[in-house]
Amino acid sequence: MKALFKPQVLGAGFLLAAAGALALYGQPDLEQKWEFMAPEYASRLEYREVYIDPAELLHLMNDDYIELLIYDVRDERDWNIFHLVDSERIDLADLPSQRKRLEGLSEMGVVVVVSNDEILATRAWKQLMALAKPNVYILEGGINHWLNVYGIVDDEHQGHDTASLARPDGTLRHPFKLALGARHAAARPDEHRVPQRRYTAKVKLLKKVVKAGGCG
Amino acid sequence: MAPFDLVALLGVTGSYLVYLGIGFGFGFILESSGFGDSRKLAAQFYFRELRVLKVMFTAIVVAMLLVFWASALGLLDYDEIMVKETWLWPGIVGGLIMGVGFILGGYCPGTSLVSVATLKVDGMFFLLGHVVGVLAFGESVGYINEFWNSSYMGRFILPELLGLDTGVVVLLVVCLALVMFLGFGWIQRIIYGRGDPE
Repeated sequence: MKALFKPQVLGAGFLLAAAGALALYGQPDLEQKWEFMAPEYASRLEYREVYIDPAELLHLMNDDYIELLIYDVRDERDWNIFHLVDSERIDLADLPSQRKRLEGLSEMGVVVVVSNDEILATRAWKQLMALAKPNVYILEGGINHWLNVYGIVDDEHQGHDTASLARPDGTLRHPFKLALGARHAAARPDEHRVPQRRYTAKVKLLKKVVKAGGCG
Repeated sequence: MAPFDLVALLGVTGSYLVYLGIGFGFGFILESSGFGDSRKLAAQFYFRELRVLKVMFTAIVVAMLLVFWASALGLLDYDEIMVKETWLWPGIVGGLIMGVGFILGGYCPGTSLVSVATLKVDGMFFLLGHVVGVLAFGESVGYINEFWNSSYMGRFILPELLGLDTGVVVLLVVCLALVMFLGFGWIQRIIYGRGDPE
């Protein structure tokens, strides 16, 4: 009995108890982690610092110096109907698989998340921030807004009407006659031929902080 | 949420003072635990004295628990902590070389610095050899560049390797450390008929 109260036995018992409790408690998932991070980063959403105009995204798509990664988090049906050139479709649940890729982005790396409106993209933005804090932005108004700006209305196969952005519900509100995917003319319009838009540039390149440490 | 940018919080001078304090504490604990004595360090490889092993692994386990409890409670972003990336085969070969050097020389690079602080001559020579080795490596690594950059796995940690939750892996590592302490103590008693002084 006396042996049980030896300091090393008590210490070992404490370590085991702390480790066992940790195994039961678990580590935060992305949503929980975002809750922890929200006090520091939620203002970027609140003040719309990370919502970029379609014209700014188009400019990024044409800038060869930018390592641009466009995540399209819509469902496969909408993706097949229309998506931006060089964008990648990914489900929200699969975002954690992108961790290493995001961590490997250079200082010129910019990530843009798109959805039909901003609802899914904003959720994805939070998860990406919790995952790897990349330099990530959201397409303002989503694909519906993009098509309002760059959609071509006089083509029989591609034509569509302007969608209302007033009540975003997460759906693609442009009626398409064909599912053209990235072959649609608006998937990557010529930056120099489209009407020029005034916008406030929000994308800033991040200086990478070198993490250091280790033991000799 | 930690880790904090100390330079932004305290300025350059303030952050250097923090580093100085941490370094002082680290050196103090290493020296007082016997890490500055090559005889004690080498003795662990022959099961003669296990104090260094116990101190080292206890420190690892305690630090691990603090890090992952802090992460679980939202006090620390574990992903922001620097973790050495893995180059598997170069890492294995490097580990073997360092292990052999540790047994033969009685020090690892960090402990040789501790021994130099207490003016141990063998530590000074070890450190000198270490510096020469670093220079020689720097001049010759170009010849083994392909191997040096091979089998890159990025930031690869035990939960990924084992496919288990982080908390479960922490528990396993703690159990491993405790079993190792008991097992090595048992071996020590079999070989030398005594354990470490308590």
